[in-house]
Amino acid sequence: MAKVLFSSWTDEIIDNRGKEATDVEGINLPEEFDGKPVKAFMGWNGFVITDSEVDVVELCKSYMEESQKHSCGKCFLCRIGTKVLADILGKIYNGEGTEKDLDIIKKLSVSIKEGSRCNLGQTVTKPILDALENFKEDFDNAVKGIVKKTSLEYKSHLTAPCTDACPIHLPIPEYVEAIREGRFQDSLDLIRSRLPLPGIVGRVCVKPCEENCRRMLLDGPISIKHLKRFVADFELQKKGVAEFQPFEEKKDKKVAIIGGGPAGLTAAYHLALKGYKVKIFERLGETGGMAAVGIPDYRLPRDIIKVETEAIQSLGVEIQYNTYVGKDIMFTDLEKEYDAIIIAIGAHTSSSMRVEGEDKGYKGFIPGVKYLLDINNGEDPYPEGERVVVVGGGNVAMDCVRCSLRLGKKEVNLVYRRTRNEMPANIEEIEEAEEEGVNFLYLTNPTKIIAKDGKVVGLELIKMELGEPDESGRRRPIPIKGSEYVLDCDIVVPAIGQAIDLKVLEGIEDIEVTRKGTIVVDVNTYMATRKGVFSAGDVVTSPDALIRACAGGRRTAMKIDQYLRGEKPERSLEEKFEDFLSEVKVFDASEDISMVGGRERVPLKHMPPEERKTSFVEYTEGYSIVEARTEADRCLKCYRVAMLAL
Amino acid sequence: MSEEMVKFKIDGKEVEVAKGTTILEAARAEGIRIPTFCYHERLTPIGSCRLCMVEVEGYEQPVPACMTPADNEIEVTTQSDLLYEMRRDALKLILLNHPLDCPICDKAGECTLQDLVYEFQIEQVEFQEKLPDKGIPEYATPFIKQWTDRCVMCLRCITACREITGNQAIDIVGKGWDAKVTVVNPELCKSCGECLSVCPTGALTDKLMSVKGRKWFIDRVRTTCVYCGCGCQLDLNVFQDKVIKVTTEHGVGPNKGSLCIKGRYGFEFIHSEDRLTTPLIKKDGEFKEASWDEALDLIAEKLKYIKENNGADAIFGLTSARATNEENYTFQKFFRSVLGTNNVDHCARL
Repeated sequence: MAKVLFSSWTDEIIDNRGKEATDVEGINLPEEFDGKPVKAFMGWNGFVITDSEVDVVELCKSYMEESQKHSCGKCFLCRIGTKVLADILGKIYNGEGTEKDLDIIKKLSVSIKEGSRCNLGQTVTKPILDALENFKEDFDNAVKGIVKKTSLEYKSHLTAPCTDACPIHLPIPEYVEAIREGRFQDSLDLIRSRLPLPGIVGRVCVKPCEENCRRMLLDGPISIKHLKRFVADFELQKKGVAEFQPFEEKKDKKVAIIGGGPAGLTAAYHLALKGYKVKIFERLGETGGMAAVGIPDYRLPRDIIKVETEAIQSLGVEIQYNTYVGKDIMFTDLEKEYDAIIIAIGAHTSSSMRVEGEDKGYKGFIPGVKYLLDINNGEDPYPEGERVVVVGGGNVAMDCVRCSLRLGKKEVNLVYRRTRNEMPANIEEIEEAEEEGVNFLYLTNPTKIIAKDGKVVGLELIKMELGEPDESGRRRPIPIKGSEYVLDCDIVVPAIGQAIDLKVLEGIEDIEVTRKGTIVVDVNTYMATRKGVFSAGDVVTSPDALIRACAGGRRTAMKIDQYLRGEKPERSLEEKFEDFLSEVKVFDASEDISMVGGRERVPLKHMPPEERKTSFVEYTEGYSIVEARTEADRCLKCYRVAMLAL
Repeated sequence: MSEEMVKFKIDGKEVEVAKGTTILEAARAEGIRIPTFCYHERLTPIGSCRLCMVEVEGYEQPVPACMTPADNEIEVTTQSDLLYEMRRDALKLILLNHPLDCPICDKAGECTLQDLVYEFQIEQVEFQEKLPDKGIPEYATPFIKQWTDRCVMCLRCITACREITGNQAIDIVGKGWDAKVTVVNPELCKSCGECLSVCPTGALTDKLMSVKGRKWFIDRVRTTCVYCGCGCQLDLNVFQDKVIKVTTEHGVGPNKGSLCIKGRYGFEFIHSEDRLTTPLIKKDGEFKEASWDEALDLIAEKLKYIKENNGADAIFGLTSARATNEENYTFQKFFRSVLGTNNVDHCARL
């Protein structure tokens, strides 16, 4: 992290002018950006200077000029006020300012800060006020005509806490505002500028955005996920399946994508928009990857995946189903025909629990991924089994228990080695599973599968207790000696994680793979260690959120575009800013939001637990127009302008 | 289920309103005036002008009254030194963006901005900004003139187009200072004039009435539109015994402030030179002016002749939507009872 010469970023002013620069807690400013040292950073909380070359008057002037470029123009104070500030600061910077100008900018800055419509205007004048207070001498000198001009470069970026937290960096405040205004198609277009799967993501996203929503500190985060689903559903109801047009002319270059999951589909969409010929090779009979075969229909109906796939196909993307690359076609055959290849095969095998009896092939022992695949294909994997034990605490485990209930299993247990507080599954999933009648066994771990005549008859469990925190920050579970007991059951479903099947690389030696079985890609080029081969999604990140796979797919598509144009693939300035700001952190959970609240989230209508636990039909009903607009109206529009001096 | 209520205080006065009611709506219901500019009763709050900012006890930042629903136990202050200064600053910024060409502006006398500047006694603006020459572009409809330099971007027009008409003919284009209201989908414009009717300044003016009469010389006469059967209420703007413009009051009649292209702009026939003022009778292939007595005698004679020689069903009568209900009733009664035919119809059915 960069050392600080001056900072008004945190509550305390750090002033090391004329002294040695120091590290400051709470300032996570990377030292470099785009290969150049960061000399100053100005943003919503204040500013940080790391190099004495920086001139504060110039910094303020540049920040206002940059803010003007981002101001949406929807309120007078920000639109006109920041322009006036930029011009007066420019006058001062040129040595033409007066004492009176300093009073004007101070007063106007307060008015803009207190009165602007969105957080952009409310925050952009904060660093100006900080500068006027702490660098009075510099401003006084400037109005006397003593000015310092540097040759620094200024780069800015518009973000928001939600946008920053979103792996694919959707323009959330903008599309939420569009919903508030009733511009549903505009909202959807904004989402689709990055993400082609709003219907899917709007149903099953783990929504890091909502955890980074400032309204959470007031009366609950905006239901960003449900709003996304609303615009997708609205289009489907009103117009049917969307059709897209490539916005660049058709190109001859061809790209093969192995795997039609979220990463593959997103990459296909962006490449096809740019005019490339894209073909997806899908191992299964349908697209969606884990979203299709791993997420049950009551959470994500297959029709939605089908519709969003069809929309992507409208761009000319071809899909070859039931084709297992590495078995049905060899990777090297694809290389001969295609100019670039994306490996986006996901993580479709279950991790091992490392307990006795796991590898014996007992009837009734069914790995989670396989269990869900069968159920999603409409089959009961083991109709005779009536008592189920699922092991694990993630969303896949929740899907397994809730599907078991829907198959009509009499007794459904979930075994998790820590407590409810540490469970990685979404809280809604846990609550809904509880409502539906799943029996949760916390602080418990399996030790042995008990079988008779080759069939599972029980699972030996051991009680656990929590010890010291491990690398993940969660307290490590420790077995309590001698506490073993047997739970009678017919089906054991391990759902403790997924692993990657790398059969695709059969006969390929030079693609580097990590010990975890993930494919190594360059952080800048997204290329694997073999020329023309790219990779995205779970196969790179190991099992992760669906939206993160989409984000990887999008960035990979951008890199392939550069590669196929004969340019060196590199992260764009925008991507560099996105990554930079992820380190700085845009959301501050300790912020005290001083605002009138009392507007709770608009809930989604749910089928009652008794009714929904017997059916695979989607159990939630999307927002109505009124509900969506009411919910969107809660958005605080936390736009932030970040600017770097380089 | 009874409606959930919220209790709070405005300027020390205890009020109770339904949950979801904004501070502005609550204040207006109590007769407490909060200055507004972009707010319009028929539109979703826009929040562009920042004049309705109010203070809430215990909270650092003022909030816009138009967009903030009241919450239990809050204490709202609508007038304070800070708010007065903020409102003045906001108005000054608006003025920066607006030429003071009131003497030649059609809106003078009923301009919200003019009234507010007067109310807040703004004599001069201490900062200046060179106004870009935005020109006078062609608007979405030939009935309206768009004065881009007068537009302060309150965004009422865009919101009205979207929310009342369900279109998006106009929108904001550009960012920051360069942002402007622009025609983006001219083909969607229905020339309904909703944008014109909500514009608080002279940024959109009526081309038909341009420089025909000042607001304070005009009489407004309420009448019912004669075009279709909806019964929209119009206010004919009369200057020196001539109709120069049609407006309508928000919340009045079945149209509640809306009009269509015909109701709003189709009034020029009233004073048209081509309008018939006497009956005409065709003699020797040419229409000649005649008196009412001559004309009625001729019609009676011809109708009688046809009825006697060809039967009553050889006669067909077509009446007009422009006539009143009573006139239309009399017309069909005359056909059925006097002439003895059911061959009667009305132009609005065609």
